[in-house]
Amino acid sequence: MHLIPQSWSHLHILVSVFPSIGLIFALGFYVTAFATNNAAMKRSCLVLFGILGILAIPTYFSGERSMAVLSQDPKISQDLMNTHFDWGVASLAVLVMTGVAALIELWRSRRAERLSNDALHLVLGLAIVTLALMIVVGELGWEINHHELQLDPATQRTPQAWSHVHIILNHFPTVGFVFALGFYIAALVMNNVVMKRGSLVLFVICAILGVPTYVTGAASMWALTGVPGISKAVINAHRDMALLTLFGLAFTGVAAWIELWRFRHLGRFSNRSLYLVLAFAIITLGVMAETGHRGGQINHPEIRLATDVLPTDPKAGWSPAIESLINHVIWFVPWQTVHFFGFSLIFGTALAVSLRVLGFWKSMPFSAVHRLLPLGVFGVVMNVFSGMLILSADSFRYLNATTFAPKTALIAIGAIAVLYFSLSERLWTVKAGEDAPMSAKWVAAVVLLSWAGVIIGGRLIPYV
Amino acid sequence: MEYGNTATMFMVISVVSCVLGLAFVGIYYLNKTVDQNGR
Repeated sequence: MHLIPQSWSHLHILVSVFPSIGLIFALGFYVTAFATNNAAMKRSCLVLFGILGILAIPTYFSGERSMAVLSQDPKISQDLMNTHFDWGVASLAVLVMTGVAALIELWRSRRAERLSNDALHLVLGLAIVTLALMIVVGELGWEINHHELQLDPATQRTPQAWSHVHIILNHFPTVGFVFALGFYIAALVMNNVVMKRGSLVLFVICAILGVPTYVTGAASMWALTGVPGISKAVINAHRDMALLTLFGLAFTGVAAWIELWRFRHLGRFSNRSLYLVLAFAIITLGVMAETGHRGGQINHPEIRLATDVLPTDPKAGWSPAIESLINHVIWFVPWQTVHFFGFSLIFGTALAVSLRVLGFWKSMPFSAVHRLLPLGVFGVVMNVFSGMLILSADSFRYLNATTFAPKTALIAIGAIAVLYFSLSERLWTVKAGEDAPMSAKWVAAVVLLSWAGVIIGGRLIPYV
Repeated sequence: MEYGNTATMFMVISVVSCVLGLAFVGIYYLNKTVDQNGR
């Protein structure tokens, strides 16, 4: 397998996701820098916008050269490519303006020794416009070579909507992870607490997003089964690596969350734990790169080389072996039991913490109930692992059940919302007898309803 | 799938004990650090 791009198309599909999806994460960090008024974080974001602006150059040239090559393919619509190109040029022009404005402000602020709010807001506005344009460009770009999205839904046993969601969603934990790691290393070098917390939060979010990414990937496998030109053996090779990525994301995400939780109570980070997160993240990024490459090989014949040897045996690999093993009752029932214990822990913890925030048990300070959260997080880890095994037992039936998609979405919403409990300064200072802020009450309601929805959605799978 | 036998029952008890044991040992040590150094 070659990870270094050896064609314009390969370079384009690799580099173009950074100024598009990456921009969302850059904006997330930038907004956090405004919210915390952290000058070092603002400067780091300006550097990031500058880098993204520079990336407009390889994105443009690789796109233009790819068009020349893909024009010879009769299956590819010239009109669609032209529309993608026109919108692409507009978005890259605004991206370059964003990058130039960020770099000018960075250069100016070094001389003036302070950042100008007007310039910072200008960069923010330009970045938002770029993102809006990039959403259109991205959608048009994905449709160029993903002909399965145009298949008649009436002929599909598993909707192609899963494939559509997967080709968008899979870039969030991957590109987000690159940004999180870059920001994390900068935070460690600058010893900036806000940036360390911001990067740890992004590691956790990427880990959470790994769950719907894996699930939508499994559903896409069924949606693509039988589509001409798609090999089940190549999909399985991608699936095996995706499984390893899921584990890597879990290790990184849990280690990062534990450090955020401990920081709340101790008021400082442990260097040993921070470097453990770094080690997990670097290993996970390596596995993720190979996963992404194998995923690209499924439906992008233009990036394959003549020397590439693709897998041909659809029964080879760990994923088919796990599917076969978990269908034995001696393996299925223990992990299903673990799954039940897992959601008992999750819901019990979510209920206790959320009820305190909503106004129950006011004699306890919030910091006391915050101590319970690791119970729920261990429950999530147990259920991601056992859920992945249960899904493998009969993935076609689970993934085509009406309630499976909302259940998966609610897992992500419920888990991301829990992060608020470890991040809000106002909530942390709620003492015994005091009422939690209204924003925290809304988050508590979202947490409670999401996890209740996950359990209900899961239980309804066989019946709806 | 074949249904219920003694081996399955032992397997359930073993897997659940290992997983929950691991979780609770982890939580014990996490809380111990906070108890000793918390603010």
